[in-house]
Amino acid sequence: MKAFKMVIAGVGGQGTLLASRLLAEAAINAGLSVKIGETYGMAQRGGPVMGHVQIGGESMNPQIRRGEADALLGFEPAEAVRRGVTYLKKGGLALVNTRVTAPVEVISGMVPYPDMGRMMALLGKVTGNVKAFDATALAEEAGDPITTNIVMLGALTASGVLPYGEDVVVETIKAGLRPQFIALNMRAFELGEKAYKGL
Amino acid sequence: MGNEAIVRGAIEAGVALASGYPGTPSSEIGDTFARVAKELGIHFEWSANEKVAMEVAYGASMVGQRSMVSMKHVGLNVALDIVNLMSLRGVNAGLVFVSSDDPSQHSSGQEQDNRWLAKQNNLPVLEPSSPEEAKEVVKYAYGLSEKVRLPVMLRTVTRLSHMRSDVAMGPINKERRPVEFDWEGFSYRVAGFSNLFYRERELNEKEDRTREEFEALPFNELKVGGEEKIGVIGVGYSFTYVMDALEVLGAKDRVAWLKLVSSQPLPSRLVSRLLEAVDTVVVAEEVDPFVELQVKALAKDVNPSMRVVGRMSGDLPREGELSHELVDSLLGKILGVRLSTVERPELEEEKKELLFDRMLTMCAGCPHRSTIYALKQAVKELKGDLMNVVVNGDIGCYGLAHAPPMAFEDTYFCMGASLGVSQGMQRFGVDTIAWIGDGTFFHAGIPALQNAVHNGAPIKIVVADNQAVAMTGFQTNPQLGRTAMGAKVEPIMIEDIARASGVKHVEVVDPYDLEAAEEAFKRMLRAEGVAMVIARRTCAMVAVRNMRPDRPPVYTVDQDACVGCKACLNRYGCLALVWDEDAGRASIDTTLCMGCSSCAQVCPVGAIHRRDER
Repeated sequence: MKAFKMVIAGVGGQGTLLASRLLAEAAINAGLSVKIGETYGMAQRGGPVMGHVQIGGESMNPQIRRGEADALLGFEPAEAVRRGVTYLKKGGLALVNTRVTAPVEVISGMVPYPDMGRMMALLGKVTGNVKAFDATALAEEAGDPITTNIVMLGALTASGVLPYGEDVVVETIKAGLRPQFIALNMRAFELGEKAYKGL
Repeated sequence: MGNEAIVRGAIEAGVALASGYPGTPSSEIGDTFARVAKELGIHFEWSANEKVAMEVAYGASMVGQRSMVSMKHVGLNVALDIVNLMSLRGVNAGLVFVSSDDPSQHSSGQEQDNRWLAKQNNLPVLEPSSPEEAKEVVKYAYGLSEKVRLPVMLRTVTRLSHMRSDVAMGPINKERRPVEFDWEGFSYRVAGFSNLFYRERELNEKEDRTREEFEALPFNELKVGGEEKIGVIGVGYSFTYVMDALEVLGAKDRVAWLKLVSSQPLPSRLVSRLLEAVDTVVVAEEVDPFVELQVKALAKDVNPSMRVVGRMSGDLPREGELSHELVDSLLGKILGVRLSTVERPELEEEKKELLFDRMLTMCAGCPHRSTIYALKQAVKELKGDLMNVVVNGDIGCYGLAHAPPMAFEDTYFCMGASLGVSQGMQRFGVDTIAWIGDGTFFHAGIPALQNAVHNGAPIKIVVADNQAVAMTGFQTNPQLGRTAMGAKVEPIMIEDIARASGVKHVEVVDPYDLEAAEEAFKRMLRAEGVAMVIARRTCAMVAVRNMRPDRPPVYTVDQDACVGCKACLNRYGCLALVWDEDAGRASIDTTLCMGCSSCAQVCPVGAIHRRDER
């Protein structure tokens, strides 16, 4: 099969690494080969995080060339734009969490946070397929903002771009969690699915 | 994950002991051992530093037990003293140490290429190209180590250590060898005193034997058809860029190639077969021209007119990691194939103008932020100007003290250096603060502290003690009272070490109490001689994790009381603080706030309070 290529963009602490790992485990559970490359130097300290996910294909190198990603999973709007402009293919799917995580430059008053309209317009020059929603609000609704990553996975699954089905994703998430957290995360997943369908 | 595959390889090879010191991108090797060691009957430990880790493993090797040591590239600098002797005296049971190098410095202050250090010590280096191969190479490395009686360096790069892919697993080897010190056979025994010296010839012979092994190493793959004019050597992980480039260029049949896993010592006959066959050879490797230099030397004898292309020739950058773009375009140029690439210079330009960099900073509620805030207040009051003291920082999260809005750190170098360099400055009357974390203090701070007391350098030390090795992922250190494998042990307290080392002024303070911390820092700055304040408060990330499933008691800004002075943002700058431009008021992001209360203490009008205490 031709490889499915996706870039995950976010900020340290948002659970992007877990999201890419769950997608990879789901791929293995679906009998597909998978490679993930992650950049997270000191990302726990509020820095940018990027993950490259390739499912299927012959390459042994997970890095995606510029302009070749089929989809972008953006956990934060500015980070989504940062990676989407470089890596997303023309017309690719851009799923964007609109909840802002302000960097220290903004908090300490050095620069303003960029205008949301201009950012989405810039991403819009790469693809007409931008789907933006407040995933963190849905995670809070589910019970804990930490489940933002699962909300995003729900939306991604509902989009139908993944080379495997919802059942595989759900089973993988359940298998990867401690029992007391399954209900919370399933609520988050379903809210993400619903959000995508409503966009 | 690459790092997990390495551990799996060691487990399948029957490793009995693993040790290491955390450091990105190597940390998950130890983290993985920590998770499985008990169940598999392996001893795993986070050692005090890399040198100790290496010595522990060497001891195991001498009594017949296979061992693994892991560290980031700069860790090998610390361990080099014993590595040098291990190479000369030899090992008994297989000893494999992992050097995780960091080209492009994703999380390091330098990108040193540790293959030079291995070469300096005549040690074998194996560089796998994928996680799956890493697992197999580790298993091979144990056999090699025992055959040639040398420690073997498994060298990874960040991209390989941190990539994930599907890996087929083999059976776990739980068999343990008999424990016995080899009384007769080995050169580390002082009883055979004459054996201890003049071992260079034997080491050189061992290197020759290793080279012979590598000539037939199955992981090295040579593809020469006979018609090709161009050859490519892909070393370790770099081989994947080569294969991808040949694929996209449609040039797989036109190019001869060598996948080289054994980069030191170089299997010269194998490489010569490629050099003899082509006019041009491209070397793709991370990160110095280590193989390229040797290929060039070899070409002088084998094929003197050939062109050697790589980082030394200037065709690839001399520093920084490789990428698809670099390798695609170099091979495209050499092969005369035009590649269509997606370049968006105008959009990239617009993006650059629109976006910020997102500098690294401390997490919401990080106790280090409170410590620095209080320290700054104390210095301002006692010294008048912040520039009247040089803050020498160290390696860890607290090293981010240089970032705005705190911006209160002037130097940082390597583990423990804050204490040493401060002494050289203090000697000439320059006031300093040595700013070091708890983990780093144990790694390399203790000798420097004792040096200050012994030689009478009256340095002032602030220990940013967050009860965690946070930057690398919450590994253990000696004061936590538990081992990597979960055993309860006697905690070693920094204040006890300081007092036992003759430091007369030692205080422990909670940095979340800003006023108390400021007063403690003032007493430290006024004190005679070496003085230390330990700012102790658990890492915010650990604290939040420990609260789950409960959420922390969050703070809120009273919008009527807030005067919009931005003191909380500009002077404290916690990530949970938000400025509402329209309202002209600060507020708090409840998803990030962890209830430390520091901003409430910073607010000059008392507008911030706990949400449930209204």
